[in-house]
Amino acid sequence: MFGLIGHLTDLAHAQEVAHDLGYDEYASQGLEFWCMAPPQAVDEISITSITGQVIHGTYIESCFLPEMLSGGKFKTASRKILNAMAHAQKQCLDITALGGFASIIFENFNLEKMTQVRDITLDLDRFTTGNTHTAYVICEQARRGASALGMDLARSQVAVIGATGDIGSAVCRWLSQRAGVEKLLLVARNQERLTNLQTQLGYGTLMTLEQALPVADVIIWVAALGQAMQVDPGILKTPCLIIDGGYPKNLQAAIQREGIYVLEGGIVEHALDINWKIKNFFRIANPTRRLFACFAESMLLEFEGLHTSYSWGRNQITPERMDEIGSLSRKHGFQPLGISS
Amino acid sequence: MEACLDYQSAVYKDAYSRINALVIEGEAQAVHNYEQLAELIPAEAETLRKLAAMENRHRAGFTACGRNLQVEPDMAFAKRFFQSLEDNFRVAADTGDLAACLVIQSLIIECFAIAAYNIYIPVADEFARRITENVVKDEYLHLNFGQEYLQRNFDQIKAGVERANAVNLPLVWQMLNGVTEDAQVLGMEREALVEDFMIGYGGALGEIGFSTREVMKMSSHGLRGV
Repeated sequence: MFGLIGHLTDLAHAQEVAHDLGYDEYASQGLEFWCMAPPQAVDEISITSITGQVIHGTYIESCFLPEMLSGGKFKTASRKILNAMAHAQKQCLDITALGGFASIIFENFNLEKMTQVRDITLDLDRFTTGNTHTAYVICEQARRGASALGMDLARSQVAVIGATGDIGSAVCRWLSQRAGVEKLLLVARNQERLTNLQTQLGYGTLMTLEQALPVADVIIWVAALGQAMQVDPGILKTPCLIIDGGYPKNLQAAIQREGIYVLEGGIVEHALDINWKIKNFFRIANPTRRLFACFAESMLLEFEGLHTSYSWGRNQITPERMDEIGSLSRKHGFQPLGISS
Repeated sequence: MEACLDYQSAVYKDAYSRINALVIEGEAQAVHNYEQLAELIPAEAETLRKLAAMENRHRAGFTACGRNLQVEPDMAFAKRFFQSLEDNFRVAADTGDLAACLVIQSLIIECFAIAAYNIYIPVADEFARRITENVVKDEYLHLNFGQEYLQRNFDQIKAGVERANAVNLPLVWQMLNGVTEDAQVLGMEREALVEDFMIGYGGALGEIGFSTREVMKMSSHGLRGV
């Protein structure tokens, strides 16, 4: 059995979902209630691979809301994720993906040092951030998107916003080693980490966001922790391909300008319908087949019987691992969301 | 958090005098309740008397915790605090409402104790931490007893558990609201305490046989006490 740990977009979304599920007592509650609410296993999922193999899983709602981070309630946010992980382990789920902010919270607040949750010792081998698959999907989206727009990715100016993060650094390594990108623009808040990354890569230009956006042909936005992308479309080059790997994904609606192509980054489409009810609550088009690549990673690991922490630790993702998870992704019928999807 | 706590400060000791009393009184009630349950379920009497004896040891342990900090527990406060739950248990026992007795003692009180002890352990003084760590292990066994009994008899007791939940869960919330500030002084956060309680209580209801939807509905009764 695989597991998915997820959360809703914001308080209003949580209230709306509670109402739609018939829990009006909860729908009227404010943030304080969600800070106290326990994790819930809210959906049973089954998915069929194009190989014919069928697997089953559980969706666990962590009751975390992004407002907890913006309100500085880091302890609460951490507790939500640890409790959801303990819940997954108690349900005997073999491999569980930490979706959305869950993996970011786990890594940023060093939760690997807090693995004792009441009477449960978390077995971190049962969890994956899903970041290897997400990084693979984002890179494929960049490669295919550029090709569809007649761009030569290797000779394009490619800006990676959030370059020092787990996904961002993996994307940089792939762009360098697999796509031969010559002009890599590296943007991140932490200059020390950014310099270290540049040293590891052996090249790349360090830039501020303001410097990078007007000159980039391809923008890959993978910044973490509540930095949804805000861009003035007027300053961008045309054509420009943007892969919005942030959360929430708000760019497609925000940027309406000819010659700017925005792709929802880190989203895959499955070849077959997925049997799940929770899909109705993901703010994603065609949710019967589309899902976050991080979630799909736990499905791939379950298909393959790889009950191990495939993606874990910061900046450990190699292009070889991305190739491997990419091959499994294609084998079981997942495709990165493309421009024409 | 722990580093900020001064266990010898007047403000800490003042809050501790009430929280410590609640724990001592809670354990004393548990002794009484398990002895009553032994009479109501003769087939389980031997086990239930053992549980009562364990609760009595816990009571003694927590009394020692207060003494160690030279704190006089405010037992009058604790008596008032538990009065409604005590009354409800007595009425249930007198009328042979086994489901209500088990909901009050084996689910609500045990889950509340487990949540409170787990939240307290990381912020407790060293003496109290050692005692509480041992107590919480026992409390899981007690919860397990109630869960298993209710699970075996789920069809007969389901409606009774729902009724007892609706009556007693709001009381727990009211009780909790009454000690929020004192618990905060001891480094125990209300939201963490409620969340842990809901995880334990919801988990127990699920083990017994209630569906996730039923558990969520039943849990929402607690909100009526807010």
